[in-house]
Amino acid sequence: MPFVGEILRHRSVSIVGLAKNAGKTECLNYILKRLPLEYFSVAVTSIGIDGETTDQVTGTAKPEITVREGMFFATSEKHFRQKRPLSELYDVGEEDTALGRVVTAKALQEGKVLLSGPSSAAALKRWMRSLKDFGIDLIVIDGALSRLSTASPAVSEAMVLSTGAAFSANIRDLVNRTAYVVELIRLPQYAGPEPELRVSSFSSVDAATLKGNRVIEVEGALTDRLLQMVKNSLGEGEIELVVGDFTKIFCSQELYGAFIRRGGRISVRLKSELLAVCVNPKAPNGIVLDSDILCRELSARIGLPVYDIVKNDYEV
Amino acid sequence: MKFREIVESPCGIRYLFDALELQSGYARKVLLDREMMVDPEQIDTAYSTLGKAYDLVVGDRRKVEDMRFRLQALRDISGTLASLADGATLDEIEFFEIKHMAMLAETLSMGTDMDTVIGILDPDGLKIGTFYLYDSYSVELRSLRAAVESDPDDAQLQEDLANEEDRLKKVISDKLRPYAAVLQRTLHELADLDIVLAQAVQMHVEGLVIPTSATATEVKGMFHPGVRASLRMKGREFQPVDFAFECGVPATVIGANMGGKTVALKTLCMLQYLYQFGFALPVESAVMTPFDDIRFCIGDEQDEKTGLSSFAAEMQRIDRAVEAVEKGGRVLLLVDEPARTTNPVEGTALVAALLQRLSDKPNLALVMTTHYTVEHAGQCWRVQGLLPGTKGRKMDYRLVRTASHEVPHEALNIARELGIDARWIDLADTIMKRQYE
Repeated sequence: MPFVGEILRHRSVSIVGLAKNAGKTECLNYILKRLPLEYFSVAVTSIGIDGETTDQVTGTAKPEITVREGMFFATSEKHFRQKRPLSELYDVGEEDTALGRVVTAKALQEGKVLLSGPSSAAALKRWMRSLKDFGIDLIVIDGALSRLSTASPAVSEAMVLSTGAAFSANIRDLVNRTAYVVELIRLPQYAGPEPELRVSSFSSVDAATLKGNRVIEVEGALTDRLLQMVKNSLGEGEIELVVGDFTKIFCSQELYGAFIRRGGRISVRLKSELLAVCVNPKAPNGIVLDSDILCRELSARIGLPVYDIVKNDYEV
Repeated sequence: MKFREIVESPCGIRYLFDALELQSGYARKVLLDREMMVDPEQIDTAYSTLGKAYDLVVGDRRKVEDMRFRLQALRDISGTLASLADGATLDEIEFFEIKHMAMLAETLSMGTDMDTVIGILDPDGLKIGTFYLYDSYSVELRSLRAAVESDPDDAQLQEDLANEEDRLKKVISDKLRPYAAVLQRTLHELADLDIVLAQAVQMHVEGLVIPTSATATEVKGMFHPGVRASLRMKGREFQPVDFAFECGVPATVIGANMGGKTVALKTLCMLQYLYQFGFALPVESAVMTPFDDIRFCIGDEQDEKTGLSSFAAEMQRIDRAVEAVEKGGRVLLLVDEPARTTNPVEGTALVAALLQRLSDKPNLALVMTTHYTVEHAGQCWRVQGLLPGTKGRKMDYRLVRTASHEVPHEALNIARELGIDARWIDLADTIMKRQYE
């Protein structure tokens, strides 16, 4: 039963898919099915509209989330009314979303739910804080692909990444692109003295400002333009960039690679803990990759175990 | 006039509203929807409640903080209660909301019949704030649930269960319905409690005072909390100011530039709003009188956005106020330097004429700041002005009654103090002296 033990060592874990249909929901169900609820109180939610019965983009069937007896879940009023097992209501939130307010309930029996929780990372954090009275040990978050911010270590302690044929249909490319995200997630935590220079955006700096600075704190997003400028001044000596966390990096893989090859370094203030990578070799357009090769290649590249949880259907 | 309509008033009442620590979004909504009070008895009743809350804040802060912590759970369930009153069948989420609110009210000893309402929604007497359709609501429900659990694929059983649940929701809704009105009232009382506790805490923190009501206005030691806060950031203090006015006696305020005339007018406007919405006042002491209509005429950036010249916007604003006075209600009209953007010849004429036009109006209290020398039958107040012997360095912002309506000539001294080109100012001095000779 891979990586469930690691999950239990954290108070919050987000499951993030690199593309729609990358197998995130299967991954979430895999985890929820295997958590030992006898000793642990678990709450699950998702960010924004995820957990639709059919995928809104491709129209393919999308499994619902199965909650077990005793599990807490948070979803919108609309989805709560639509489908749920017998559940005890614990809270109705104040913030209104397109699907109504966020309802927090405890399942009194096993059953399927449609998950659509708080609509922003900030609202998600508020919801997580509101759970403190309910004695929750572990919060599992179904993170939307467009909202990588839920995986920010500022929100959840650890993460599980799901990737697959829907992200790229070519194994080499898939491994390559997934490895890049993994590298960002595992960027080291900054440990040096307080950086001399802080920049908040590309427009607030120029090459002259950068000159002579060895460590630069990036206060907002690290964009291609900013990274390019820093890269150009690498000739003058080594430079380390410090960003908030990996979700603040919005740079192309090529530029990032070039920056690192020329001796640049990037570190983060808050480090994420990546617990596992799951793959879904099937894409909604019918492409099926070889699961064994995919797992082997990706695992070799990132140095972490990679699981195809659907194919292997690990014991409960 | 609702509170939300004056919260952006240029008088700066927003500062106190923003600093008010309400515990629930619902209380904020209720406050913004409050109507301005015009009946002095109603205002005094509100102040008596605020006074009790203040005593509690001073006497038992821990209890107050405990109450306020609980009030964080207050939600706006007025929609649910309206459906209940309308005869609708509610669902689990709505039952939860009602139970949640009733339990909140009970812990705060608010409302009546809350124990009965809670009893309907807590058939097992568990005394916890959660809710679902409990098995104990009917024997039928319990047995159907057991049957569905042992045979989850039986569609007929599932339908029977759904029907029984719907029936019970209707039964529970009918039982709750007689309490819809008392629940509505309690909901509102909870919001009022949140508001008055926040006001009382603010009163304590900002050093505000409850005024008394009479037929004329007299304030001692008034200050503008927003301006005071920004002065304190610069390490300076706000100098409190006294003022008095009454209906039928127009008052003008004259004095040097930067002498605080506009701030005084803003403060008067804010005091009036605070009084008529039942807030404590930023004063040492105050006697206040309510008005049906409060008009504050001051130029602002809005004028430029609407494309009117500042002169046109100002004239129209005053014109509407004159109309309101003619209608006969009690009006407080506060005008900041009318006609200041036009030439002094016509400007002086306009101001003098406005004072004449509005004289003999027993329903109007008029306070106007001006730089023009205009004679009128009312009262004239003057900013004390530059302190003698400080070479124009220090301003005494106090307002004093004066018999002379002649505006003081301090602009040149102030300009010198500001370090404006000396040759220019000397020349102005020469020209002025020539004119007066």
